Amino acid sequence: MTTLIVNNRKYELNLKGHETLLEVLRDHLGLTGTKTACEESECGTCTVNINGKAVLSCVTFACAVEGEEITTIEGLAQGDLLHPLQQAFIDYGAVQCGFCIPGMIMAAKALLDKNPEPTREEIDYALDGNLCRCGGYPKILEAIWQAGREMKKERSWPQ
Amino acid sequence: MLIHPLTFYTPTTLLEALNLYSSLGDVRLLAGGTFLLNNLKLLKKKGMKTPQNIVSLKKIGELREISANEKTLTIGSMTVINDLFNSPFLCDNFSLLKTVCRNISTQPIRNMATVGGNLTCRYTWTEMPAVMIGLEADLHFMGSDGQAQIISAEEFFKNAAKTDKILTRVTIKRDKKATIAYRRVKKSPFVDIPLLSIFMKTYFEGDRFTDTRVVVNNCVAFAQRDRVLEDFLNQSPCSNGIAQKALDHLDQGIYRLRSSDYKQHMFRVSIKSAIEQLIKSRNNPIP
Amino acid sequence: MATIVNKEFVNPVGKSVPRIDGKGIVTGQTKYAFDVSFPNMLMGKMIRSPHPHARILSIDTSKAEKLPGVRAIIKAQDTYNIKFGSNEYFFPHTVDQMALESEKVRYVGDEIGAVAAVDQETAEEAIKLIDVKYEVLPHVVDVEEAMKPGAPRIHESLNNIAVILPVNFGNAERALKDSDYVREDRFFMPAAHPAALEPHVCVGQWETFSNKITLWSSSQAPFKCRDALAKTLKMDLNDVRVIKMAVGGGFGGKLEMLPMDFAACLLSKKTGGLPVKICYNREEEFLSSRRKHGMIYTLKSGVKRVGTLLVMTGEVIADGGAYCSYGPTVIAAAIMRIFMLYKIQHFRITGYRVYTNTPISGAMRGFGGVQSGFAIESHIDLLAKGIGLDPVEFRLKNITTPNMITINKMVLTTNGIRECIEQATQRAQWKEKHGKQKHLCRGIGIGIAADVMGAKMYKSHESAGSIVKVEEDGSVYLFTGAADTGQGSNTALSQIAAQELGVSYSRVRCKAGDTEITPFDTGSFASRVTFISGNATQRAAHDAKKQILSVVAEELKLNVDHLNIIAEEVINTKDKLVIMSFDKALELCYSFNYGRQIIGRGSYNPKTTPVDFRTGEGNVSGSYGFEAQIAEVEVNKETGEVKILKMWDAHDIGKAINPQSVEAQIEGSLAMGIGYTFLENLQFDKQGRPANGNLAHYRLPRSMGMPEMETILIETNDPEGPFGAKGMGEASLLPTSAAIANAIEDAIGIRIKELPITPDKILKALQEKEQNEKKEALSV
Repeated sequence: MTTLIVNNRKYELNLKGHETLLEVLRDHLGLTGTKTACEESECGTCTVNINGKAVLSCVTFACAVEGEEITTIEGLAQGDLLHPLQQAFIDYGAVQCGFCIPGMIMAAKALLDKNPEPTREEIDYALDGNLCRCGGYPKILEAIWQAGREMKKERSWPQ
Repeated sequence: MLIHPLTFYTPTTLLEALNLYSSLGDVRLLAGGTFLLNNLKLLKKKGMKTPQNIVSLKKIGELREISANEKTLTIGSMTVINDLFNSPFLCDNFSLLKTVCRNISTQPIRNMATVGGNLTCRYTWTEMPAVMIGLEADLHFMGSDGQAQIISAEEFFKNAAKTDKILTRVTIKRDKKATIAYRRVKKSPFVDIPLLSIFMKTYFEGDRFTDTRVVVNNCVAFAQRDRVLEDFLNQSPCSNGIAQKALDHLDQGIYRLRSSDYKQHMFRVSIKSAIEQLIKSRNNPIP
Repeated sequence: MATIVNKEFVNPVGKSVPRIDGKGIVTGQTKYAFDVSFPNMLMGKMIRSPHPHARILSIDTSKAEKLPGVRAIIKAQDTYNIKFGSNEYFFPHTVDQMALESEKVRYVGDEIGAVAAVDQETAEEAIKLIDVKYEVLPHVVDVEEAMKPGAPRIHESLNNIAVILPVNFGNAERALKDSDYVREDRFFMPAAHPAALEPHVCVGQWETFSNKITLWSSSQAPFKCRDALAKTLKMDLNDVRVIKMAVGGGFGGKLEMLPMDFAACLLSKKTGGLPVKICYNREEEFLSSRRKHGMIYTLKSGVKRVGTLLVMTGEVIADGGAYCSYGPTVIAAAIMRIFMLYKIQHFRITGYRVYTNTPISGAMRGFGGVQSGFAIESHIDLLAKGIGLDPVEFRLKNITTPNMITINKMVLTTNGIRECIEQATQRAQWKEKHGKQKHLCRGIGIGIAADVMGAKMYKSHESAGSIVKVEEDGSVYLFTGAADTGQGSNTALSQIAAQELGVSYSRVRCKAGDTEITPFDTGSFASRVTFISGNATQRAAHDAKKQILSVVAEELKLNVDHLNIIAEEVINTKDKLVIMSFDKALELCYSFNYGRQIIGRGSYNPKTTPVDFRTGEGNVSGSYGFEAQIAEVEVNKETGEVKILKMWDAHDIGKAINPQSVEAQIEGSLAMGIGYTFLENLQFDKQGRPANGNLAHYRLPRSMGMPEMETILIETNDPEGPFGAKGMGEASLLPTSAAIANAIEDAIGIRIKELPITPDKILKALQEKEQNEKKEALSV
């Protein structure tokens, strides 16, 4: 049995060994917020956080991350209360078709948790693995920049 | 199922990993996974065989350590790229590694890929192999019989020999006297993919170059030294016109191989610029 | 300056209210067809041809049928062999594709059957066991080769030309002779791919007891899909239900039924009613969906020294791939946009849409306008240069005006192109910069574009319908057939409904794109939704409002024509006094004496005429949108690298229903335009297969290298559009390549006529320029 800790919950799973983390999240745990658009680590839609770092779940073996803290998009909001990043993406019009958004938010969270006041270049650099075909980059970057400042203000926001 | 069924092992010590690696048949090592998993998916798609066993090195703490002393920088083979990038030890001739790390792929990949994985899969889509050759790095391997083996980066990339030993660390000698210049060209300003890079290291004796090392990185193809250019520089004074003259003393075979006209042009632009940089930094040993 | 969301929800039109579907997306809860899963669901996979052109001799599925886990296999003989197409109403001869081919395959990847199995793995194994015998035929990949006599015949059409559009006005030959300056240019625009992040995916289920299908789909045109399914499966329309889920991007690639949609349904029938999901992987996306037509555009035009654009002639050859899809409309759009922009009396351009044995070209965002935009706007700049006139001046002398009819009978009403050009050039400091920054290798260039709001294509009409239902508690449902694919139409339409009804945006819930519940709508394409579906929605809300007001009038013995609902209050329009609150009015409607359900309905079909393919005449749209785009670049002459410093986009959108969404669409289009200019080039190997059909090699634009973008919204308040709004969604990627190419010429004096613009092309052009200058110097 493999124990995966996802969004602060423990899951005991009977894994065979070949499963990617992405498959486990979507097909075994029903957490379909994490997407995939390429299956070859190019698009970033499968981005999740492991121990606070942005990683690609499509090239992560589920068995390799047993016992580590995995956070997906479903783990951000607290009940009805949206995470500042989620709120900022709505407030600054960063949402279009939405397929890239979970990956973008998770990549941004990893950045802002360590550095809530990044420069535009630093945001660009941290999000360079995330594609948005709708081309919403200007508003996405703005939302992240604003969210960081909000997160710094609300210092009590749990990481 | 994107890849064929397999058995997954997560040893927690190097010895355990070595034993598994030597005793299991049909086994591959898992470092960061960014290369291996895509490779396995591709093999399955093509209907080819994939390994029965995977041995993950992720839980082996000693392979993740970075340390430095007066003489040497030691990088554990499982050091993740971003951890190397953030390491406080990257000064003197090691500071170029910071640039290389920064240029690798994208952020989540930099959070997953390892130095060892990058080197052992001989993935010249990045600049790491060329820079390791340039800095005269040594790759340290360990076998299950306890036998250690040290192979220079240059030797390792020259012979694509397979080994049953595990790469445990990479060491680079500290060198405060060398002058280093590095130039890289991307495929386009809008992408993160390198087209080529040129590494140059030299020492100055009076107004002459000595012991020059030039490593040519033709991305996705190979990384190797241009000894013709090295010889020319070692016999030349470091005067301003030398950068232009050097372009007539290149090992043309290297630059023409798998190289479009544009790439060849950019090699020349980069070489000239790198030599000019060396001359400029002459009074400041480390750029 | 970033536009932040506006939370004042009353009178929402013109405000950047938050997306109605935003919360679901940012929490990962929104379900795409990609996420749909049912118990006992099977996975399907298409059986594809390995040959670019071959006759199908036999298909033996016996071994595959025996593989454990395989539940159904279908091929052409399980179907009615009915062809489907996309422009069928006006071009019945272009209906040329079968859901499963029975006689011939025409590109590598062409579908001849499908398998449903317990998992993807088993379906893939089964396909390997299917034995298909082909008679391989000669094939042709290059479009110019395909047009030559003697080339392999792909369909029945002569010289593989699916559609010819000769557009002739005036006397082009004489006008060329009368011109003071004539020049000819040839432009090459490559194939590209919509590459939406969500691949093509659908789940089909056959209800065996009632013989009804449901298809959960990622579609821009669910009704188009329904129509095609009903046709090919010989079913009544109301037994076919297509449910559009949230769509992860369409960009013109999801505008029609694909064989996979058909197969999912038929496979489900064969299994006795189990749901079947077919999901493309990225390789199949590039291989077998819909790509952008590669085009070769030759233009020869004449101008007078004073700056009059006298005549334009030429030809455009579009590489259509193996089947016709939206080919006719694409070729029409590639030519006719010229008339929306420039007053021109003499014209002769012929368009050819040609078959090749390559993946099918469809209606990727822009419908041919992106390719033609590059050619035409580059050519216009070169004409201006030829007579020594500033490119902006030249355009201003020749652009169309408001309230005019073009030579091909397009009725332009509101037309903000002049203001767009003036605003853009002012903000970009055109006069100070153009021709004055060569010493810095910097340059500035302009491109202009016009856009339609829909076009009649596959039906005789293109109407949209909406229903607005107001419940007893004041909640409002908007049912619209319009397909939101991320551009925000659910939000904009909800704003229109709320504004017209006179209530807060927060009351509205939107249900869109379910063919069983929502009224008909042709789909999300040609920037039509805000204009056409918006009008239908406004009418439906108006109807609902009138129903409420007639109860109030009846109760209070007032004249219903003197009543209105504004900002949640019923008011008397004569004296502006408040009569009662909206909630009170509703209470009245649903009270004992009245009990009136409030269900408003509206439909809208713009008064247009279809394109006459014999003459090129046709007022295709109810209104036209305009924009001017300026790019400022810096070129590194040593490396050939181009850096875009900034871009300006001035856009006549009639009225911005949601300014934030409009900006997002403009910025997004610019990004796609930059991608096409520098990065995107879908190449084919000798077998016609995509050579770079994966995201590692087909590079999409990322935020790296994206310039600062300034958007300027020009509101011309269109009399026909809902609250003055026109549509937009495509226009901003039409002139981008030309604006950049024009800026590069301003910077370093070289002209690139082939996309994508890469460093090696720049260096080569610089080299040639140097050599020409040396030759000239020697000959003096």
